[in-house]
Amino acid sequence: MTRRQAWLTDLSVAALLLTAYVALLLATAPTLGYARDEGFYFQAARSYEAWFKLLVDRPLEALEQATIDRYWSANREHPPLMKSLFALSHWLLFEKWRLLPDAGTAMRLPGMVMGGLWLATTYAWGAKAIGRLPAVIAAVSLGAMPATFYHSHLDCFDVPVATMWLATTWAYARSLDAGGWRWAVATGLLYGLFLATKHNAWIFPLAVLAHVVLTRGRAVWSGWRRGRASLPAALLAMAVLGPLVLYGSWPWLWHDTGQRLVGWAAFHLKHDYYNMEFLGRTYWKPPMPLGYAWVMTAATVPTVTLALSVVGLSGAVRRLVTPYWRRWRRQAEAVRWDQPQRRSTELLWLLCILASYGPWLSPGTPIFGGTKHWLTAYPFLCLFAAQGFAAVCAGLTRGLEGATWAARGRRAGVKLAAAAVLVAPVVMTAHSHPWGLSAYVPLVGGAPGAATLGLNRGFWGYQTGALAPFINEWAPKNASVYVHDTALQSWEQLRADGRVRADLRGTLSIVGSSVALYHHEAHMARVEQQIWVVYGSVSPTHLGVYDGVPVAWLYLRPAAAPAAAPP
Amino acid sequence: MRPLRLLWWSLPLLGLAELGGHVYFSRRAPSLAQWQQLRPAVEQLRGAGELVVVAPSWAEPLARHALGDAAFPLEQLGRADVTPFARAIEISLLGQRAPELEGWRPVVEEQHGKFWLRVLENPQPARLSYDFLRAFGPHSARVTSDGRPCAWTTTGRATAGGLHGPMASPTQRFQCGGGDAEYVGLTLLDDQDYRPRYCLWAHPPRQGQLVIEFPEATLGPLLRGYGGLSWFLMRDGAGTPVELEVRVDGRSLGRWEHRDEQGWRGFEFATGVPAGTRATVEFRVSSADPAQRQFCFQADSR
Repeated sequence: MTRRQAWLTDLSVAALLLTAYVALLLATAPTLGYARDEGFYFQAARSYEAWFKLLVDRPLEALEQATIDRYWSANREHPPLMKSLFALSHWLLFEKWRLLPDAGTAMRLPGMVMGGLWLATTYAWGAKAIGRLPAVIAAVSLGAMPATFYHSHLDCFDVPVATMWLATTWAYARSLDAGGWRWAVATGLLYGLFLATKHNAWIFPLAVLAHVVLTRGRAVWSGWRRGRASLPAALLAMAVLGPLVLYGSWPWLWHDTGQRLVGWAAFHLKHDYYNMEFLGRTYWKPPMPLGYAWVMTAATVPTVTLALSVVGLSGAVRRLVTPYWRRWRRQAEAVRWDQPQRRSTELLWLLCILASYGPWLSPGTPIFGGTKHWLTAYPFLCLFAAQGFAAVCAGLTRGLEGATWAARGRRAGVKLAAAAVLVAPVVMTAHSHPWGLSAYVPLVGGAPGAATLGLNRGFWGYQTGALAPFINEWAPKNASVYVHDTALQSWEQLRADGRVRADLRGTLSIVGSSVALYHHEAHMARVEQQIWVVYGSVSPTHLGVYDGVPVAWLYLRPAAAPAAAPP
Repeated sequence: MRPLRLLWWSLPLLGLAELGGHVYFSRRAPSLAQWQQLRPAVEQLRGAGELVVVAPSWAEPLARHALGDAAFPLEQLGRADVTPFARAIEISLLGQRAPELEGWRPVVEEQHGKFWLRVLENPQPARLSYDFLRAFGPHSARVTSDGRPCAWTTTGRATAGGLHGPMASPTQRFQCGGGDAEYVGLTLLDDQDYRPRYCLWAHPPRQGQLVIEFPEATLGPLLRGYGGLSWFLMRDGAGTPVELEVRVDGRSLGRWEHRDEQGWRGFEFATGVPAGTRATVEFRVSSADPAQRQFCFQADSR
C-alpha cells in the first residue's frame, strides 16, 4: 500500500466512524430528554442566533456595545464556540432549510458532530501511532461507554471540549514530528477554538509544558543559555493565536475585555459546591473525596477497556522509565529512549490523562457534574487501550506460532480478540440508552449494585425524556407539570419539539401542579417528600426504571386529594 | 512457557465475562411487572397498621407504586424509629436485609420469585401511652403563639418550597398569624440521611414562645421524641439554636436545645408520674433569633 493509499484508507475509516456515530446519535436522540444545562444553552443559542441575524441585516447596529451586551450577556460564564454553532445549526438546518426534524435536534447536532470527530480523531492518531485495528478498538471503545454516548448527544460543551483537547494535542504532536510552522499554526488555531469551547482549556498548557520540559527540557535550557529560543513553535502559536481566536470568536469580550475575562475566570474559580452522592454519602462542601474520580471511572467505564488501558499504560510507563533506570543503575551513560517519537507521544498521552484528572487531586475541587468532568482523559485512555490490544494480539500470535494453521489462526485469533474486547462495551452502551448517567458496569454490580453502594443515580433532570410517553398518556388536559430538576427551558423545548403534549405547562410550583416529576438524587428526596404532603399520596403513578432501579418517577395528583391530614 | 502465553487470552475473556456480568446484573433485580405481582402476597401477610420495610431502601418507590398508599401511611414512612412497631413485613430483594429490623424474630418467611417476604416480630415493642402526632388535632390540642391563641383551619394556604425552600405545609393546621411559616401542623422533614421524618412543624414565633398543649395526655414514665430542622437547608449550621421545653401540668421536665448541625436527634425526659396518669403536656418552642427556624418535632410517652 502506498503512502497515499494508506492515507486515503485512514481517512475513509475516520469518516466512516464519524458518520456512523453521528447517525447513531441522531437516531437515538429522540428518546433522550433535554438535560437541565441544555435548556440554558438553548436559551443562549437563541439569543446569539438573533444577533447573527442582526449582523446580517444591520451589521453596524449589531456591533454596538449595547447590542452586543444585550445578546451576548446570556450564559456569559461559558465561551461562545459551541453555542454559536448550536445557533447557526438551528437557524440554517432547521429554520431555513428544514433539514432536521425539530429545533432541539438541530441545536444538538453540532455537539453530535463533535462526538463523531472525537472518535475519528482518536482513530486517526491511533492508526498512525499503533496500527489500524488497535485504532478502531480505541475509537469504538471511546464511543462505547455509557457516559460518552450520553454526553455526545447533548447541546453541551463536555464532549466538544474533550474533542478540542484531543485535536489540539494531536496537532501539537504533529508539529513536533513535522517541524516547521504549518502544524504549529494549526495547534495555535485549534487551541483558540479549544479556549472558545470551555475552560478545561486553561489546564491544557500545563500538560504541554510538562511534555516540553520532559522531552526537550535540556535542549531548551541550553538554547536559552546561548540566547536562542528553542521552544517548540506550537507553544508560541498557542500563546499568540489562542487568545486572538478566543477574542475574535466572542463578541462579549470586545468591550470591557479585562473586566469580563476576570468575571469569566472568577465564575469557575469560585464555583458553587453542588451535591453529589458517593458511596452512600452526599458531599456538598469540601473536603471532597480524593478517590471520587478514580472510583467513578472504574464504576462507569467498561472494565475490559480499562484493563486494556492498564496493559497499554504499564508498557508505556516501562518504556519511559527504563532509560532513567538504566542511567541510575549506571548501565547507560545518558538517558536515551529508543523510538523517541513514540515515547514522546506516549508521554503526551499520559500527561493529558494526568492533567484531566489533576483537578480531582485537590479536595477543594467541587463535584458538580460527575463523570463528565474528566471526559477529556478518555480518548487517551482508549489510545492506551489500543496499545494494550496490540500487546494482546502480539501475545496471542506468539502463542499460535507452533500451529500448522498459524497464519489463518492468527488472523482469526486477532478478530476474535477484537470482538471479545468490544462486545461488552457496545452491548452495555446500547442497553444504557436513554439512562446513560444511571449506568454502571458489572464490576460494581451494574445499576442495582451501584444503587446499593450509594452511587449517584443521575443528575440534570435528563430523565424527563424517557418519562415523556407516560406523561403524555397520563397527564390531564391542560395540566401543569412540576418539572423538578428539568430546567423550564428544557421542558419548553420538549414541548416545542412535540415530545410532550403542547397543552402541558411546565411549572416550578408543586402546589400549583397536577402532575409532578421527581428525578432521584439522594439530596433531592425532600422534593419528593413535599409532593407526598401536597398530593396526599406516596404512590408514584409511573416509574422510569433502569435494570430494576427506579431513576425518575411521576405522580398524578389524586382528584381533590387532601393535604397531609391528621390520621 | 506456553501456559504463560495463554494468559493473553485473559483480556478477551475478561470482555466476555463482563458481557456475562452485564446480562446477569441487568436482569437480577425484579422488574416493574414483578413488583406489581407481589401485591396480593403482601396484602395477605400484612395485618392492620403493620409496618412495611423494603430492603434495599432504594427499591421502596417501586413498592409504593405496586402496593399503593394503604401500605405506606405517611406516619410510617416518616417514622422516627421502629421501636413502637410489634410486627413488620420486610420485602427483601438481592439478598439485602433492613438494618433497622436487625434482631427482630422472623415468624413467616416466603419466597416469591425474586423477593423474600418476611414477617418479623419485634422482641420488645415499646408500649406507647400517648402518641402526640397521632393525637394532634383541634379536639386534643391547643396552640398559642406568644400568648395569642392559634386557630384551627382546614383551608390553610398550602406551600412547598421545592429543593431550596421550606418543607410542605399542610392545609389542616393551627394558624398563628398571616405568615406562611406561622402555623403548627403535620408535615415531613428531611433528616441528615435525607430520610423523611413525620413531625409537627413548630416554627418559634418572633417574640415569646410557641406553646403546643395536649390537655388530656396519658403518660408513661418517659416522654421521648426527636426534633430537628431540614438538613438540606440548615446543614451549614449557621442558625441560632432552637429550644424546646416540656412541661407536665405546669412543671418543667427540662429544656432541650437543638443546633442545626446536629440534624434529626432524640430527646428524652422522665415524666415523674405513674404510668397511666392523665396530665396536660406542653411543648414550648423558642429561639433567640427565630428567623428561618423551621423546627419540627415528634414525641410520645411510653
